[in-house]
Amino acid sequence: MSVNTIADVEFGVELPSISPDTSLANVKRFVVAAGWDSPRFTDHDAAREQGLPGALVPGIMSQGFLSAMIHHWAPAAEVKLVDTVFRAPCIVDEQYNINGVVTDVDEDTGEVEIDLTVTNEAGENRVFGTAKVLIPLG
Amino acid sequence: MILDLHAHSIKSDDGRAKVQNYCQWIKTRNIPIDGFVLTEHRQFDNESDYSDLAAKHGITILKGSEVETEYGHVLVFGVTQALQEAFDFTNIHLALADVIAACNAHGAVAVPCHPGRKRVGMAAHLEEHGVPSGVNIVEVFNGGSRGEEDQVAQEMANEQNYLGIGGSDAHIVSHIGRCATKFEDTIHNEQELVDALKAGRFEAIKLQQEAS
Repeated sequence: MSVNTIADVEFGVELPSISPDTSLANVKRFVVAAGWDSPRFTDHDAAREQGLPGALVPGIMSQGFLSAMIHHWAPAAEVKLVDTVFRAPCIVDEQYNINGVVTDVDEDTGEVEIDLTVTNEAGENRVFGTAKVLIPLG
Repeated sequence: MILDLHAHSIKSDDGRAKVQNYCQWIKTRNIPIDGFVLTEHRQFDNESDYSDLAAKHGITILKGSEVETEYGHVLVFGVTQALQEAFDFTNIHLALADVIAACNAHGAVAVPCHPGRKRVGMAAHLEEHGVPSGVNIVEVFNGGSRGEEDQVAQEMANEQNYLGIGGSDAHIVSHIGRCATKFEDTIHNEQELVDALKAGRFEAIKLQQEAS
């Protein structure tokens, strides 16, 4: 269900999860556009030589996926804050799910807080955090 | 009675959950716990009084701390003013022996948490520092564990004959109650929690197999 106004939002509701494209080609496109082009994001072997488990999905790309999930759920939402804690790296070419759930609703102001997680196929949280968004009052 | 013995609120530097939202989440989602303990990082929250919130929701809300030692992170239950004066909770290089000695002197309990985790867990430091004396309980189920971390914790507990507790290590609202501890007794306050821990009348439980 797409959310249009604050009246559509309920505490505890889960946002539709998305599985983003974390392929090497897509990450390459992102880091070039972001001005972050570096082998640690685009070359598994070069990343391993730096002691990393593989090429990394940049943190700002993960935050972008989280924001995209929010806008997919509520196209008119104004994302005020995406506050993330990176607990473990997200590796390029591995599968992740982007998840959100509503954990606070202020019906007077339209402000909604959303718990955010990026989980791998094992269900482990690699990234967690919260978002504050404004939903139109209607 | 089931308590989540390891949770963080916005009082912790990496905590993002407001305590009232933990309560709302537990009730809305029917999370099968009776309460939780706020174990804020490197501090004891002397300021907050959650008694009205606890009464409103019928949830037990207790306070402890999570401090840092050469063996990794350690939960402290039964924090008093005297214990806070016994060592510096903000010091990230505490000696575990000093923490345990202070806890014993002031009626508290120290419990190494997420011991299977690299760097901040006790198991990773046994080879360098040896098996510490005075540890009786460790956290065997941690809601933030990845890979084999809980298994490492459980194996260490079995080898050393430690008792085990469980806690979610929640930093966001929706993670409360992922792991918890089931007590034989009803616990109303921190002193009763310490008594139950010292008596060994509890078991660690997992309430969710996978992170949400």
